[in-house]
Amino acid sequence: MNVAGLAPTPDTGHELRAEIRRTSQNARARRVLVSRVMMTLCAVAITLAAVPLVMLIFELLQKGIPVLDTTFFLKEPQSPTLLSPNATGGVSNAIIGTLALSIYASIMAIPVGVLAGIYLAESDSKLASVLRIVSQTMAGAPSILMGLFAFSFIIQDLHIGFSALAGSFALAVLMLPVIAISTEISVRNVPQTLREAGLALGAKPHKISLKVVLPTALSGIVTGVILAISRAIGETAPVMLVIAGGYTDSWKPLDPVSALPLTIFMNAKSEWPSLRAQTWGIALVLVAFVFVLSLTARIWASRKQKVGN
Amino acid sequence: MVLLPDLLPQPEEVAEFSSATSSRSWYHYLLIAVSLLFTLVSVGFVLSILLKSLPTWAHTGTLLTSRVWQPPNGPYGGLAMIVGTLETSIIALAIAGVVGLGTSIAIVFLIPRRLRNIVATFIELLAAVPSIVYGLWGFLVLAPFMLNTVDPWLNSWPFAKEVLGTSGQEFGSSLLLAAIVLSVMILPTFVAISREVIAAVPQDLIEASLSLGATRWQMIKDVVLPTARIGLFGATFLSLARATGETVAVALVAGGVANMQFHLLYPGTSIASWIALEFGEAQGNEISALMALGILLMAISFSLSLVSRWLVNRQRKLLAKV
Repeated sequence: MNVAGLAPTPDTGHELRAEIRRTSQNARARRVLVSRVMMTLCAVAITLAAVPLVMLIFELLQKGIPVLDTTFFLKEPQSPTLLSPNATGGVSNAIIGTLALSIYASIMAIPVGVLAGIYLAESDSKLASVLRIVSQTMAGAPSILMGLFAFSFIIQDLHIGFSALAGSFALAVLMLPVIAISTEISVRNVPQTLREAGLALGAKPHKISLKVVLPTALSGIVTGVILAISRAIGETAPVMLVIAGGYTDSWKPLDPVSALPLTIFMNAKSEWPSLRAQTWGIALVLVAFVFVLSLTARIWASRKQKVGN
Repeated sequence: MVLLPDLLPQPEEVAEFSSATSSRSWYHYLLIAVSLLFTLVSVGFVLSILLKSLPTWAHTGTLLTSRVWQPPNGPYGGLAMIVGTLETSIIALAIAGVVGLGTSIAIVFLIPRRLRNIVATFIELLAAVPSIVYGLWGFLVLAPFMLNTVDPWLNSWPFAKEVLGTSGQEFGSSLLLAAIVLSVMILPTFVAISREVIAAVPQDLIEASLSLGATRWQMIKDVVLPTARIGLFGATFLSLARATGETVAVALVAGGVANMQFHLLYPGTSIASWIALEFGEAQGNEISALMALGILLMAISFSLSLVSRWLVNRQRKLLAKV
């Protein structure tokens, strides 16, 4: 070892270290700045997203509530005239039509959808895998196509005519895949141990499915069904081609009926300001329907979680 | 969410044992019969529209090339509607994608934990609002605003008239307005899915990157978004599918005319809304032409849904590996 080496040498790395510290501090400052800017942009994005949506709800309440009165709910519509431009009547025909359509559609879609969903969950046959692809593809199909199908099949081929039946058929085709998919998921969610417990007790497989699996999956299935109904209630496109927008109250499946969304569509471009104003009320009722159904579905879903735990 | 159940963590596949199908009971046959019925309905759905559209495919091959739609004798050209569908849904997706991605990030990483569930519920409720309500809002509120403010401003730019067309048509109805309404409409759908995808990124990855000194944005950009990438594409395609298939909202705000010049500020139409608007007065071969448009729409929708399903499956496998 060189003795001279023991003497304190001038620290040549000092400047280098200072340089490194400076650059790293700068880099860090830049990274923090970029991060702040981007997070601010995200905050801007959520504001941008909220504005039209909040505006929509505000507008709906502000313009919808004044229109709602007993006439609105209980009277059939009438055409305004020059002498009485505000005589729009009510929309009882559309309320009854919407209820009738969704009830008939549910009657058609729920049994088929639920049973098909159970089959999807409990079978690994070829049919099941085909059906799974089919139902997932159908779930994404544009709703106007269900209208075309109902027109082509019910009206052109079966000659049944424009009716609640044709409209609810279109809605049923729309609801089927939604119900089947959600049923499949909730049946699959039933713990395997429950099935095995049933088997261990010597129960027959179909007994296990009906008495153990189904009751456990029930709240999930109900949630799916409610969501499917709430989607069907709001749809305009599938029904507009086939229900002919009847002006009278009717529960009969073979009568032409109207529906709330269809009435909005027809009246939004009306030359009568009173009819245009009325559409806000219809929209509010429609949104209220859908929200109540969705919230009910959520409550059912949370019940399911409690049972699961 | 029922919208895209595949995105959620899936329960373990049901093992060999399957309670309903292992025995040949009446219940087993009932299930098979119902499933066959469902499959039959779906096949009938495609076939019946396809068969009714055959005359159009056979006689006039103009559906994909012509811009002229001339009932009652034709030609029936769908080009204006096809381009209208593309224009409106792509612009809508661009707006909703950018805003929606920012919103999802903000919901997952900026909003206090307590508010998060409330915001998520609110957004899922908005995704359930019927599209006709968005259409009504667009037509009665947004259209006058576009007519008086936005359109003239856009038109004041150089070359705007040549590219976008002249503003101030028919109550403010235009393809651009349709695109904006669509973007507001698909935003909740996009956010509902992308929020879920982003929230599903494993916490370990996030903490690992933060512990290495990454800033929040670096963590999001380099860890969260790449991990969630494929699921986000899935959300994008699903929103695109919803935008292309949207009927009544577009029918209300786009103006419902076959737009020959593809100008954004002109009224226009999309495939789905054209079917809805024309069907009421259609006779004979025009019905067949509209059915042919329906087949076109079906092809677009089915391919979008196949692509998004494939992407979502890849995302699920990717997350399973992590």
